[in-house]
Amino acid sequence: MAALQRVAQSSISTTASSYGSCKGAGVTTTTTNTSTKTATSSSAAVASEMVVSDKFPVGLRVLVVDDDTTCLTILEKMLRRCLYHVTTCFQATAALKLLRERKGCFDVVLSDVYMPDMDGYKLLEHVGLEMDLPVIMMSADGSTSAVMRGIRHGACDYLIKPIREEELKNIWQHVVRKKWNENKELENSGSLEDNDRHKQVNDDAEYTSSVNEGTEGSLKCQKKRSNSKEEDDGELENDDPSSSKKPRVVWSVELHQQFVSAVNQLGLDKAVPKRILELMNVPGLTRENVASHLQKFRLYLKRISGVAQQQTGISSAFCGSVEPNVKLGSLGRFDIQALAASGQIPPQTLAALHAELLGRPTGNLVPALDQPTLLHATLQGPKRGPVEHSVPFGQPLVKCQTNISKHFPPSILPVEDVSSGFGAWPSNSLGTVGSSINLGGLSTQNSNTLMDILQQQQQKQLQTQQLSVLSESSRSINVQPSCLVVPQTSPGFQLGNSPASVNQNCSFNRNTVIDYSILSSQSSDSAVNVGQISNGDIKATGILSGYSTPASCSSLSSCSLNATTSATHQSSTVTFGDARRFPGLVSNTSNIQGSYDAKPGEVLDQGPLKNLGFVGKGTCIPSRFAVDEFESSPSNMNQGKVNLEKNGNTVKQEPNMDFLDNAKIGVPILRQYSSNELMSVFTE
Amino acid sequence: MLGLGADRLRADMNRLLALLFHQGVLDEQFLQLQQLQDESSPNFVSEVVNIYFHESEKLLRNLRALLLDTELSDYKKMGIHLNQLMGSSSSIGAKRVRNVCVAFRAASEQNNRAGCLRALELLEHEYCYLKNKLHELFQIEQQRALSAGIRFYAQNQAIAT
Repeated sequence: MAALQRVAQSSISTTASSYGSCKGAGVTTTTTNTSTKTATSSSAAVASEMVVSDKFPVGLRVLVVDDDTTCLTILEKMLRRCLYHVTTCFQATAALKLLRERKGCFDVVLSDVYMPDMDGYKLLEHVGLEMDLPVIMMSADGSTSAVMRGIRHGACDYLIKPIREEELKNIWQHVVRKKWNENKELENSGSLEDNDRHKQVNDDAEYTSSVNEGTEGSLKCQKKRSNSKEEDDGELENDDPSSSKKPRVVWSVELHQQFVSAVNQLGLDKAVPKRILELMNVPGLTRENVASHLQKFRLYLKRISGVAQQQTGISSAFCGSVEPNVKLGSLGRFDIQALAASGQIPPQTLAALHAELLGRPTGNLVPALDQPTLLHATLQGPKRGPVEHSVPFGQPLVKCQTNISKHFPPSILPVEDVSSGFGAWPSNSLGTVGSSINLGGLSTQNSNTLMDILQQQQQKQLQTQQLSVLSESSRSINVQPSCLVVPQTSPGFQLGNSPASVNQNCSFNRNTVIDYSILSSQSSDSAVNVGQISNGDIKATGILSGYSTPASCSSLSSCSLNATTSATHQSSTVTFGDARRFPGLVSNTSNIQGSYDAKPGEVLDQGPLKNLGFVGKGTCIPSRFAVDEFESSPSNMNQGKVNLEKNGNTVKQEPNMDFLDNAKIGVPILRQYSSNELMSVFTE
Repeated sequence: MLGLGADRLRADMNRLLALLFHQGVLDEQFLQLQQLQDESSPNFVSEVVNIYFHESEKLLRNLRALLLDTELSDYKKMGIHLNQLMGSSSSIGAKRVRNVCVAFRAASEQNNRAGCLRALELLEHEYCYLKNKLHELFQIEQQRALSAGIRFYAQNQAIAT
């Protein structure tokens, strides 16, 4: 133990600081010293209870799954000697259950490949999809095909039995690497180290490939498949890496679109692989491919709704706190000056706020919008979270202040945070606001900056509350594209198949606000988007402006997505803007529509936010959603989205119009998206 | 006198181990296993090996049943059993058992029934040999521990008086 204590604390890495703090875990690991190997055999005598130490790899929470008791016993012993916190499990299903129940209480999973109740690869897939934990596979079978399969399913390592203690001493690296990669992605530095990139590729092997290859990739792949006519499911073959890729079906965006539309056509319940295959009519695609994809798709849908449910609790909690504020708002108004006076808001921000508030058209009051519409609005949108947040802001002016007030107090964060959030905004962003106003020429600008800030705060909260989920969120960027436009099937909504406006403009300067395109689709909708890019650390505010077009009695919400590409491929943040518009409803107000802007890919301003992975893999994104591909992809996703919404409906419906509630719910969904993306790109 | 006995027993153990290593029955993984034995689990090796025997016998029975009972043996299931046996055998360092498993699995992958039967017999033979030898080893170990304990006790007595 003395040896442990001696470990220098000099190199505390931020990577690790976010690591290991899990709600229920008794083990607190906050300090990392990556340079030390604390787990030495000399300290083996230390009982496992003493694992509670702040020296990094010590206390790493490992879940070992192996149906072979012998191996399990030996592994447990070895891991304990590494001073890890070990949980063993001899059934894959039980392990999965455990992982689900105690989300965030494990750092790494060691799993056997062959298990009677569930294939280790399946487990790996589930874990990858649901908790995004590093999974290390182990098997006596060290054949290339088996290892390749593991890698393809997303294993971060593959250990061949017999496993030696030396190998286990090192497994913490996967945890750190994962965290580190996430942070890297966030920082979006664009200069990934080789290691890093390698890992990333590993992680994302499935979708990167499909993404990069884009359409032609999938075509190629289909051709290959038709040539080789294998009836395998892509998993059984054991060829070398180069050839093993070929027969894989890459679920490109287009392919997925076809898939989703086929499923929609059939109805989710009635969709069977064979029928889907017929509808898709893609040469070379096998029933097995479709079946497996369908399974994943279903799983994903299920998961989405499940998570949403989980989150409801939280959101309701938030709501509780909100109400008093609402009163406050209705009584008087949110007093910006007061805030300013208290020094929480820098004068510039204040000015900006005013500008926005004033500039905004007076719109419907909340009551004017009927509930369903609102619900739909909240349901829609790629990024639920942001959207919902924005909803309150997007609300008609009159309410606007109230809304603001709602938001501020409710956020559980102390006021300091608020101020810090504000402070974090460079004055430039304010400039941006101004410029955007000019550009837009519309008064619709919502207080985006505000939104951002709020969102950030909430993200913070979420972060603190659910560290475990962070990893998922870090992929959100990738997801975003897939979320594109969501057509609603409900009568009031029209399907905008392709986003009203897809802006490919990117502004490479952080200050620039891009584009507002207004499209009017058949019935009075316009969607507006803004792509926004932030450079590296700098916060860029993207400003979304929604423009409302003529009021019609039908409410439309259209979202448009902007893909931003950065010239350098570095440090590009893609931001999505959803402009939600609710055309004024018949009742009181004419003309005015509230526009809801959502900026999902929010700029990460603050240090803590960096942990959130909003900016993911800047490099991939541009290439993936090249301008050309862009058009096609949105519609796909729309479809997918529709389904999601259907499923998620029950969860999300809030009888009353509490936007905050929705907003909160939205956040989790946002996170889900990451998986969505994973799903959508599943290649097998 | 008793101390001498303990030393001799230790020498016996080492000789037996050396023999097993020489024969390729065990490999260095067994030494890893021995290193895992410490104060917190003084009987770790024998505990694990007993678990191994228990599991392996089940697997061997299953394998035999799979091979003999049905005309059309379930080779896939056999492969899974063999994989597990391979994993556990290699984990305790039972090198020869593991090697036979590899051969067995190769035969089962080719649906080679005759090969499987041969391999099964060899496997059972190797397994029995391993089991006997390890039991022998543990017995010596036990005696040694006993005599060491007695010596320790005797020393204490001497000091006391």
